[in-house]
Amino acid sequence: MATNYVMPKLAMGMNEGTVVEWLVAEGQQVERGAPLMQVETEKVAYDVEAPVAGWFHILAPAGTTVPVESVIGQFAGSAEEYAQLSGGAALPAVTAVPTLAFNDKLTSTGAVMAQAPAAPTAAAPAASGGRVKASPLARKLARDRGVDLALLRGSGPEGRIVKRDVLAAQAAPATAAIAVSAPGTLTVKGTVPLKGMRGAIARRMTQSLQTAAQLSQFSEVDATRLLEARARFVANADAYGTRVSVNAFVVKAMAVACQAVPIANAGIVGDEIVLWNEVNVGIAVSLPGQGEWDSGLIVPVLRNAERKGLVQIDRELRDLATRAREGRLVPGETEGGTITLSPTAAMGGEAMYSWSTPVLNLPQALIVQPGMIMARAVIHEGEIAKRDMMPLSITFDHRILDGDPLASFVVTLRRCLQAPELMLA
Amino acid sequence: MALGKEQMVLLYRNLVRADHFDKMMMNRIMQGKLIGFYHPGDGAMAAGVGASTFLGDNDILNPHHRAHGLGYAAGRGIDVGRYLAEHTGKVDGCCLGRSSFHWSFPEKKLYGASGFIGWHFCPVVGWGWASKRKGNQMVLMASGDGSYGQGGAHEAMLFAMNWKLPIVFFCENNGMAIHSTISDMHPMPDISSLAQGYGMPAVVIDGQDVFAVAETVIAAREHALAGKGPTFVEAKTLRLREHDVGTPDLARAEPRPAQYLEELKKRDPIVLATGRVLAEKVLTRKQIEKIYQEAKEEVVAIEKFADDSPIAQPSIEELLAGVYVA
Amino acid sequence: MSEVRELPLVEAIKEAYRQEMERDERVFMVGQDIAGGIFPHTKGLVEQFGTDRIVDTPLAEIGMYGTAFGAAMEGFRPIVDFMFAGFFLNAAAPILAQTAQFRFIHGSQMSLPLVITGACGAGMRLGNEHAMLVHNMIAQVPGIKVCMPSTPYDAKGLMTAAIRDDNPVAFFWHLGTMMDRGPVPEEPYVVPLGVAEVKREGSDVTLVANGFQYKNAQIVADKLAGEISVEIIDPRTFSPLDIGTILKSLEKTGRLVVVDESWESRSTASEIAAQVVDLGFDLLDAPIRRVTIPNIPLPGGHMEPYVAPNPAAIEAAVRDVCR
Repeated sequence: MATNYVMPKLAMGMNEGTVVEWLVAEGQQVERGAPLMQVETEKVAYDVEAPVAGWFHILAPAGTTVPVESVIGQFAGSAEEYAQLSGGAALPAVTAVPTLAFNDKLTSTGAVMAQAPAAPTAAAPAASGGRVKASPLARKLARDRGVDLALLRGSGPEGRIVKRDVLAAQAAPATAAIAVSAPGTLTVKGTVPLKGMRGAIARRMTQSLQTAAQLSQFSEVDATRLLEARARFVANADAYGTRVSVNAFVVKAMAVACQAVPIANAGIVGDEIVLWNEVNVGIAVSLPGQGEWDSGLIVPVLRNAERKGLVQIDRELRDLATRAREGRLVPGETEGGTITLSPTAAMGGEAMYSWSTPVLNLPQALIVQPGMIMARAVIHEGEIAKRDMMPLSITFDHRILDGDPLASFVVTLRRCLQAPELMLA
Repeated sequence: MALGKEQMVLLYRNLVRADHFDKMMMNRIMQGKLIGFYHPGDGAMAAGVGASTFLGDNDILNPHHRAHGLGYAAGRGIDVGRYLAEHTGKVDGCCLGRSSFHWSFPEKKLYGASGFIGWHFCPVVGWGWASKRKGNQMVLMASGDGSYGQGGAHEAMLFAMNWKLPIVFFCENNGMAIHSTISDMHPMPDISSLAQGYGMPAVVIDGQDVFAVAETVIAAREHALAGKGPTFVEAKTLRLREHDVGTPDLARAEPRPAQYLEELKKRDPIVLATGRVLAEKVLTRKQIEKIYQEAKEEVVAIEKFADDSPIAQPSIEELLAGVYVA
Repeated sequence: MSEVRELPLVEAIKEAYRQEMERDERVFMVGQDIAGGIFPHTKGLVEQFGTDRIVDTPLAEIGMYGTAFGAAMEGFRPIVDFMFAGFFLNAAAPILAQTAQFRFIHGSQMSLPLVITGACGAGMRLGNEHAMLVHNMIAQVPGIKVCMPSTPYDAKGLMTAAIRDDNPVAFFWHLGTMMDRGPVPEEPYVVPLGVAEVKREGSDVTLVANGFQYKNAQIVADKLAGEISVEIIDPRTFSPLDIGTILKSLEKTGRLVVVDESWESRSTASEIAAQVVDLGFDLLDAPIRRVTIPNIPLPGGHMEPYVAPNPAAIEAAVRDVCR
């Protein structure tokens, strides 16, 4: 890689130097420290040595005067490189010392001001070249009031946004001049390829909705006693090694209900409905997306929920979720599910009492989505009471279950959630 | 008026002390233990001692930069420890370490210093005016021959004579101002010739003779206190060394010849004073040794005081608070 | 407050001299030809106080200033009158290198309670040297205060404050205000140094002006009334500068024009602009305009009226920031 050689600054006040004579030939292989050139500055001549070794290519001929620090030669690392340099490689421009622009406008405001004031300029868009022209006061007001300066037109001098513009924008945001794109056009903000996980999710969701006869059923569950039971588990968290979650209760309840209503733990394979022995609960886990805009989804499987206690279920739920997010699931862990849980979570960080229509995870017959447990006013034992209520959404495949078996499943599920001790039966 | 024996002893002691102070400063600066610079007064401390020893407590004294006024400090009873602490940037310095070399002993009527040579020709007018208003006090302003180039000198002498101010213009003429010789810089050999232009009484004395200086200043002081106005006392002295330590000792552009400097040393004030006190049996050799010993001890104490004091590095807030009277 | 009679500004200054000299025998005046006085501000004082306290000196600024400088160290409270402000330059070293820096450098042990004064101002065609406004040269040096009155009331109050202040104070007065009449209470009173005053309330623009320019500011405000509401602030003291009053006004108006009858660059107007941008950045809805003398020596002849700040220039600046 060639090294540029510049006119050295030999003295404090030196601005330019003259190459009196090159002490090496063009293309000569020069040792470090060998005499390189004679330079003259302010009537004194100096001999200068080569700072590095290399094949030397002269750029400033002898006799030329150049500003300090402009490139006057190049050291090539090899003969071949030298050949490239000297054989017409683009010459670097001689860098000029930048001169200071003298601002005449710094004088005589008095004389300038004595003339008649200029007519105010018409309001022009304030943003140009990415920089919004606004007074400090306007900026502060805009910041404090959440007004986007980029959308405003300034009525101040040279289109500057000033206080009145910000105040006007707040008063009538709809009528304020907002920059809009031309009719019929759209501008692209970003793209996400339908590949990898996103592609798979898109395909499976479409396939599910197009294949199954899926409907959703909604109910509410009084989870007051569930929370009390949970609290007792949580009080013993150290002994259990985990803080048992509400989801663990739901998984267990699903297992009980699946055993009570076997057709709920089934799926269509080929041209028949297959009922399974194991209740393997798929747990939907959100993942970060591949890029800036998208998100991801994966469903690891908690096997044999019907045989496991709450503590073990909870431990496995956490473990599966953690490893799913860290990309450390082992092959097979996302297969073999018989029913799916889309776990309770706040919607975007907000506590919200809501239902949804989850999409079936084919070939499974059911998917259960509990909502956030929140305090609600309900009739309890004939009186209005504050109870902790859980909204419950279930989507089912009507090819496999009709209304009665579904109702049985839902009733069993609700019974277990409303009185968790019944799961001990 | 002739000096009494006690007065002579006091002068002799102060001369020895002053010489020790001067050597202390020279040693320190050559060891890098002094901030700023030092203008040695080697061999020329008698004028300051003689001029200051018999001033009254109310009298205003303002010395110039030669030997950093240590001859005057010796005669005035100035706390040289606080001055050295100032000169070494310490908290206990007389200017809180802010100035590097200024004096400030207002309780001793030593009102500050400046690097503008001849600066005190300006306030001396006010000192004189205030002294006359108050009565029973006078002003002794000491400066060198070079300072009389300043226009302010004319103004001060003009005002002093116009208003009959009780000021003694005490000029230590050592014939040098950095590298400039008096013969180049002044048309007359005696600076006191300026005084005649104002009708001011003037006298030329031997500045190497501490006793002669003291007698003359006592008389000038009485003249001033009696309301008779200012006088000009020119004390001829010498400069043995360079203007300040580290500057070459040149006259014009040539080094001052060693031979010439050897000649100057023959008029060493301590040699002269010792000869006289012994001859007139004012002091015995033993007493002289004791005076030397005490001077050495005093220097040790001065240096200890200054060296023990912490370095002054107050906060910006504290410095800001020191600019104005609140 | 007693019934307020009117006095010309120059008489208000004299009343301050007289009352302070009556009150405190340490106060005295020194200058050239002040016993007779070329201005009315010392007339009659030598008859009352004698030549011991109204001291005429030869034409020698160093000796004259030195009388005050040295006496201040000896417990007196002198007023030294340079006649015209620019002549202080003949004693610039004792004032700026010594007096201003004296207290600080000497370990805050001594105080110099003296007042420097002189007349100045463009508009009377006295030429560049007699008109020279030097307040900014002095205001830059720490250790000395600088003020100028705009009204007779402020003239007496500021001079009284200056005399009573234990620090060196430079009090300059504008020849164009010399005969302006205004209410001046008879008893002694103080207008504190370092405090600005809102002399006219307004809401659209803050206009800072002092001395003769204060009158021009009022002319402009009167003319624009109904169209642009102008708030006028008189700084009164240049150093120390009361920036707080200006910032408070800007919270209301958001626009600032500073008139300083002084060369444009490095003026008090520049200093105010810099402090406002530093301390009140978000208050500004428009750039700050300074109306000053351009960076040229003040010409004589017929040029003074348009070279120095005038109502037309001030009005143009006000309109400019209100665009």
